[in-house]
Amino acid sequence: MILRCLVVTLALMCSLHGHAAEKALRVAVLNHSPPMSYTDDAGVLTGFNVEIMYALCEAMGVKCEPVPVTLERVVDVVAAGEFDFAAVSLLSTPERRARVLMSKPYYRSISVWFARPGVVPGGVSSAVVRGGVQARYVQAQGWKSLLLDSHGEVVTALLRGHAEAALLPMATAVALQQDSRIHPLGLTTTLLRDPQLAGDVCLSVNPRTPELLARLNEAIDRIKRDGRFDRINSRFIPFRLQ
Amino acid sequence: MSTDDRKSAGRYPLAADAVRRWPAGTVLAVLGSVFALVAVSLVVLLAVDQRMVTDVVARLHDETVPWTLERQRLARNLEELRLGGQRVLTATDEVSREDALFLVRILAAHPGMGEDPRTAALAAEVERFLVKPPAGRPVSAADLKAWEALSARLRLLADDLSVEGGQRVSAELDRMSAAVEQTRYKLLFNLVLVGAFLGSFLFILRRYLIQPLQRIHGVLTSLDARGPLPALSSAPMAEIHAVEEAIVRFHATLRENEDVRRKLERLATTDGLTGLANRRHFLGQAAEEMARARRYGRPITVGLADLDHFKQVNDRFGHAVGDHVLQSFATLVAETLRQTDRVGRYGGEEFAFIFPETTPEEALRLAGRLRERLAAAPPLLPDGSVLPVTVSIGLADATGRDLEESLAQADIALYQAKGSGRDRCVLASQDAGPDPQP
Repeated sequence: MILRCLVVTLALMCSLHGHAAEKALRVAVLNHSPPMSYTDDAGVLTGFNVEIMYALCEAMGVKCEPVPVTLERVVDVVAAGEFDFAAVSLLSTPERRARVLMSKPYYRSISVWFARPGVVPGGVSSAVVRGGVQARYVQAQGWKSLLLDSHGEVVTALLRGHAEAALLPMATAVALQQDSRIHPLGLTTTLLRDPQLAGDVCLSVNPRTPELLARLNEAIDRIKRDGRFDRINSRFIPFRLQ
Repeated sequence: MSTDDRKSAGRYPLAADAVRRWPAGTVLAVLGSVFALVAVSLVVLLAVDQRMVTDVVARLHDETVPWTLERQRLARNLEELRLGGQRVLTATDEVSREDALFLVRILAAHPGMGEDPRTAALAAEVERFLVKPPAGRPVSAADLKAWEALSARLRLLADDLSVEGGQRVSAELDRMSAAVEQTRYKLLFNLVLVGAFLGSFLFILRRYLIQPLQRIHGVLTSLDARGPLPALSSAPMAEIHAVEEAIVRFHATLRENEDVRRKLERLATTDGLTGLANRRHFLGQAAEEMARARRYGRPITVGLADLDHFKQVNDRFGHAVGDHVLQSFATLVAETLRQTDRVGRYGGEEFAFIFPETTPEEALRLAGRLRERLAAAPPLLPDGSVLPVTVSIGLADATGRDLEESLAQADIALYQAKGSGRDRCVLASQDAGPDPQP
């Protein structure tokens, strides 16, 4: 009996030790992409996707280590297994699904075309971020484009005249519209619902860890049910993401 | 077994063979199977209900609650749309108006807004209304009035969406509650059924097994070979019926054995010709009476009787007549002596008597009465003639003596009676010495 208790205690201690020693998940996030992922005035990485990541990791009972990467590299590094998953809003395209595991959609998005008055798509240089579906769309349409590394560079490009238009995802477009620096430019907006630019937004997961995908999907359901998702939504987006 | 015995048995089980009987094992197996079948069916029904509850809970968890939350988010976006429209109409500068209008357009174009035809149509109508006034033109009173109507519709639709979520949750909960209630009733019914089955089982067990076994126990306890056949019920259980039949056969065997035993006993103790006790049995009875008299200090007398000239009867009329004479004398003795007196055929035409609680004088009177009755009613031969026969009787006081000595004294007295001319009774004197040799 005593021997059995010792064995059970030892096994429990080993289990707890293993649990405690479980390494933190490496999570790829964007930076300079407000309001989804950015560094605030206090130098802290935050934003809708960053806070969602923390909420998901808390729901899964794991520690997460956010590591900023550029949008262009997100799919590559996740597909290569360098990261466990990416807390980056990616439209679920066939090309991406072929390389990484895509979580269940956690909201849906459209794209917004910003341009100086009188400018038509294709006629001027359009600012887009490398790796995004908007960049792919612009290139596919044969439009002149200015490829940037982050959404934060779009304002600068527009202000400096390097680009006369920009094609951005919905949430980023809302932040850009509210940026007082671009108001003097008098940009007009066009909402694009083309299937290539709109649809389900998912998280990407290391293709070698399907069990993590299942846990992530379950965590998404949980934080949507218990209100954490909506509270984070209210902090960064002026309407409900659905 | 006699017919009377059968009648006294009342409900005689063997007479009820027309009744169909059931092996107890089969009955219990059938009852158990039926009970198990019903119980399993009810458990299956309960499992179905439980599955229904589980399904409802799963649907609530996976579909209804998320759907309800999405409805609330949609309602929240409708409210944001209404507030955005308000800001569009009340904006004091073009930048603010454009910002607000942008948000309105985003909301109107949001995929979530298109999920419900009502929200899609209303959002599109709101967008068209807000975009229509050209920039710079002041908002007219008619515009504000129209907006009030649109704003009210947005509020109402937002309320409807919120309520719909609650209604769907409520409907699911009602369904689950109904399923739980149904399960409760089924469980209650199951319990009642189990109770009924248990009661029936105990009733059958008591009525058809325990009570018959108790009756069998009572019958076996009081089973008497000399008594009537015990009353047994007609048990429907085959095994019980078999035991009852065995008891009937056993009782019949006991009675046959008792009859045989009585016959053997009679043969062993009775003289076959006269029906009186034979010599051995008489000596046994006499010894008991002597012992009793000695124990209680009571008087007792023994006697020996011998028919006079009996050899001549045999020689003259034959042994058949001699036997008839002996039988007639035996009958006379049985009729004359008292019930407490003992008599036996001592040998040939010689008979022995023992008179308990009787003094020699009293015995002498009894013997005299016997002699007189024999003289008054001589044996009647088969041909109708009368054969006069006399008897000589010797008596001896056996009080305080042993049987052998007393019989020897009586024998001496008998010889004295014979020697004195026969047809008389002689009481041995108290001080008589040993019988002299003839």
